[in-house]
Amino acid sequence: MTNFFWTNFSKQTTSEVEIITSYWQQTPLFKHIPKRHVANLAENMHLRSYQQDEWVFRSGDQGAGAIMVLEGEIRISARQTTLAELETGDFFGEIALAENDKRTADALCVKPCRLAFFLKQDLEEWIDVEPRLGNVFLMNLASTLAQRLHIANQLLSQQTHNET
Amino acid sequence: MKPEALAASSAYIQTVKAFALVIAVILASFYLLSAVLLPIIISLTLYALLQPFTNYLVRHNVNHSLAIILMLILMLAFSVIAISIALPQLFAQVAILKNKLPFILEKLEQLITQSSQDLGAFMGMDLNVSNLMTSALSQSSSVGNSLLVGASEQVMAITMLLILVPLLTYFMLKDFKSLRNRLLNWLPNSRFELGWLIYHRVTRQLQAYTRGVMIQSTVMAIVASIGFSLVGLEIPVLLGVLTGLLNLIPYIGPLISMVLASLVAATMTPFDPSLIYLGIAVVAVAQIIDNVVVIPYVIAGAVDLHPVLVIVGLIIFGSLFGTIGVILAIPALATAKIIFSNLYSDIYNASQTA
Repeated sequence: MTNFFWTNFSKQTTSEVEIITSYWQQTPLFKHIPKRHVANLAENMHLRSYQQDEWVFRSGDQGAGAIMVLEGEIRISARQTTLAELETGDFFGEIALAENDKRTADALCVKPCRLAFFLKQDLEEWIDVEPRLGNVFLMNLASTLAQRLHIANQLLSQQTHNET
Repeated sequence: MKPEALAASSAYIQTVKAFALVIAVILASFYLLSAVLLPIIISLTLYALLQPFTNYLVRHNVNHSLAIILMLILMLAFSVIAISIALPQLFAQVAILKNKLPFILEKLEQLITQSSQDLGAFMGMDLNVSNLMTSALSQSSSVGNSLLVGASEQVMAITMLLILVPLLTYFMLKDFKSLRNRLLNWLPNSRFELGWLIYHRVTRQLQAYTRGVMIQSTVMAIVASIGFSLVGLEIPVLLGVLTGLLNLIPYIGPLISMVLASLVAATMTPFDPSLIYLGIAVVAVAQIIDNVVVIPYVIAGAVDLHPVLVIVGLIIFGSLFGTIGVILAIPALATAKIIFSNLYSDIYNASQTA
């Protein structure tokens, strides 16, 4: 018999942890990080359910971490322009892991969503315990952000090229 | 009013409402936990102090529970050694102080009567404070009696602390994160990230403050003890430790230490008036070292509060919650400030994007 008082009733089930782990493992953020460590992190990630047409965040909100789509569909947009449509296994909001700053776009649930939050708080606590792997993660994060910057630059130069 | 100013002021009113709600929730949980609040605060402090060390052990592949138990045993051993070295010294000095206390009170009475007579002569009227003094002194002796009566209850309370604190600290080091995650999971979707951000900022500041203050009081106690014994004051270690502890109370604490030091100097035989100034000078020098060396390197940036707010807060917290209130006033005010400013920026931003 399980003891009701001592069991963590909000804890994710093993299969759910495995799913979250495998999704995150496939992202560039967790490249070269052993599965056991990703699973440890996934176990403490924060699962939340959103209804259709609910905002995950608005541009200018303060961001606390990166978000993995477990179920549903998310539309990322800025100033009424759709930037991306995200599905199961995609992640977004990783800028907040690098900097405690405001969200740069809006994120809307197009369908009912289930999301896993990887918060800056969890990242910092993990880096305290595993500084070497933390470094690997931060390098991954830097290259992910650099890639996005690269794409943004290309779009910008295309735009200015088209205008002239 | 301009539209931006209107938005700002309505956001401000909303923030005050949200802030009042948050504070009410915090106060209500404090009230519910009031019986175990002291052990919880002590355990949280120990948690903040010990966590880096258990992290270090875990990093070197020590099992988490084992690391915690090791740390607790180490801490216990360390405090037993520290107490067994320092306590006999302290007890001896407390005994000296106990013998001195009647002289100190007498001296104080003399001093006050004398100065009130001088003042009365100066102002041309008869100020009779000796009656007032007698009643105050009799009151203080009855306080001493009730302290003795309360001693057995004190023993009970301390025993409970000794059992509860290690137990709570162990479970905090082990389960604090999952407990915290569960509590913060109750936040609604729209406030989830904000809640975590506020938590993140508050804990970071409180940890920095706690660690800083502990280092600061230790440094102050050592500096003041050395200073008092150098100038030749009696009971230097006890005075030094008291100066270190009183340093927790900004602005007012050092003044109390100065009064204590000069009272001890005033009752020494043979009486040497220069010792009074030397005693005050030691506290002043310790303060200078504190302000020039310790605060910039250890506490700087831990809290950013206006001095007037600090003093008014100290007085209000002190009158509401006594000694514990005085110690907790600064971290409580700093926490309230973070909560308020984060709520405001979120609510203001929401009013702009809506």
